[in-house]
Amino acid sequence: MTQSKPKNQSSRERFIEFAKNGNILLNQCNKCNNIILETVYYCDKCFSSSFKQISYAGKGTVVTFTIQAVAPEGFEDVNSYAWVIFKLDDCDINVSGFLPGISSPSDLPLGSKIKVIDFHEKHGLILQKYQ
Amino acid sequence: MHPLYIFIMLKPFPRYMGEKVYVLGAGSTKYGKLNESIIEIALNASRDAIESAGITPRDVKAGYISNVFGVADKQVHMAPVIMSNLGISDVPGLTIESACGSGSVMFREAFANVSAGFYDCVLALGVEKVTHTSTVESTTLFSYCSDFFYEGGNGASFPGLFGSMARAYLATYKATEEDLARVAVKNHENGLLNPKAHVRKKITVEDVLKSPVVASPLKLYDCCPFSDGASAVILCNEDFAKKSGNPYMEVVGSGRGASPASVQSRKDITTIPSTVEAARQAYKMANLSPKDIDFVEVHDCFTIAELIDIEDLGFFPKGAAAQAVREGRTRLNSDITVNPSGGLKSKGHPIGATGVGQVVEVFEQFTNKAGERTVEDAEIAMTHNFGATGASAAVHIFKKIK
Repeated sequence: MTQSKPKNQSSRERFIEFAKNGNILLNQCNKCNNIILETVYYCDKCFSSSFKQISYAGKGTVVTFTIQAVAPEGFEDVNSYAWVIFKLDDCDINVSGFLPGISSPSDLPLGSKIKVIDFHEKHGLILQKYQ
Repeated sequence: MHPLYIFIMLKPFPRYMGEKVYVLGAGSTKYGKLNESIIEIALNASRDAIESAGITPRDVKAGYISNVFGVADKQVHMAPVIMSNLGISDVPGLTIESACGSGSVMFREAFANVSAGFYDCVLALGVEKVTHTSTVESTTLFSYCSDFFYEGGNGASFPGLFGSMARAYLATYKATEEDLARVAVKNHENGLLNPKAHVRKKITVEDVLKSPVVASPLKLYDCCPFSDGASAVILCNEDFAKKSGNPYMEVVGSGRGASPASVQSRKDITTIPSTVEAARQAYKMANLSPKDIDFVEVHDCFTIAELIDIEDLGFFPKGAAAQAVREGRTRLNSDITVNPSGGLKSKGHPIGATGVGQVVEVFEQFTNKAGERTVEDAEIAMTHNFGATGASAAVHIFKKIK
């Protein structure tokens, strides 16, 4: 779905707004069609700054992850979680986020299905496993 | 030779035209938990380097300082404070930050300024003090070195970022958690021979595997410690070095590289592009290849990093590092000695100082001060140090002057 760029919003604010609805906002270069994350200001192939925005379903598969014993400040209140890098379905873009409720690597085989469900002020991009 | 190098050695790079640059003196504090203030730690290493070079502070025409978390010890704008306390308040200083790669990135700038002829003699000093902060505070401070919007802000710590790289590596290549453990065991063996190392303790593969998980699949002994410490070297031009009458070594190669700041943005999570590019430039400048290197100090902040490093630097083909470690080919006085100092893993990782500390190790090796950890007959050495998960990196190659 192609979006028009709302005024008076930073790129991160736009990314967050779409993530809250389960989507990842991407930029498609008007010059070379390269697709990059919305938060990048210039195309990394042709260096154009002219884009059309694409809202992409925040669904994908787990590329890699970790479960940490010591969490950074702001995450002490959460029980065990995974920090996950996942690849968007049908798109060569990886995104990373916070997946609560994971306490063992066996809970999350590589290739597991993952979707974006929210963007939390304190915990960032919130993910959920799905079948 | 790593197949990648057949391609990258052919890639054009501007011919190096600057003056020859030498390391004339080196000094370092012990790495570990230090009680002095960050400035006192910095001054102690600086004094040792100045005395090692046989010069006085008056000979120093500029100061280059690398540091990341000075704010944790209530001191930023560190360079003028250090210059003033060395009695040379009229000498310009510059503080440089590039996360865990600050030391080597700063060394490169010091090298470039001497090479360009701006100064005949400079101080290159790295310093860090963090052990007075709690584990959560340190973990949080380090997470600020990540691409925070995508990494630290989503709950990733640095062990976590390297844990995710390790999981990808182990899933891609024939490597195991035991192979990671072997890196730690080897570096602790070397660190035991280094009186200034932070963690001087012999460990076994079983010790590593049984240690608590920090960020799966990495365990406590897969991780370097948070350390305090400072390291310093004196860089100078040829005329200054020859007139000094003291031993020196030549910087024959210097390279810088960069990678996407976030791990998610890398096409291949099992390699660090900044290392590959920095090494390509350094080899090209030195007109050398991986087979010419007698020993290397690499950035082993976590055991997985050393496996990736020795592939990216061209010592082993991609995916072959684990087998090489298994066969003992990276141990002291083997095929390629990796981290004779003990590396970040055992020697310690005061992040602003680490890259300079590697140069200090090379200087000690080349001036017969490395004691039991001496790499026999070494004449060419490399240092490799990166920032964060490899977003920034610098590689240098040194030649012993007989």
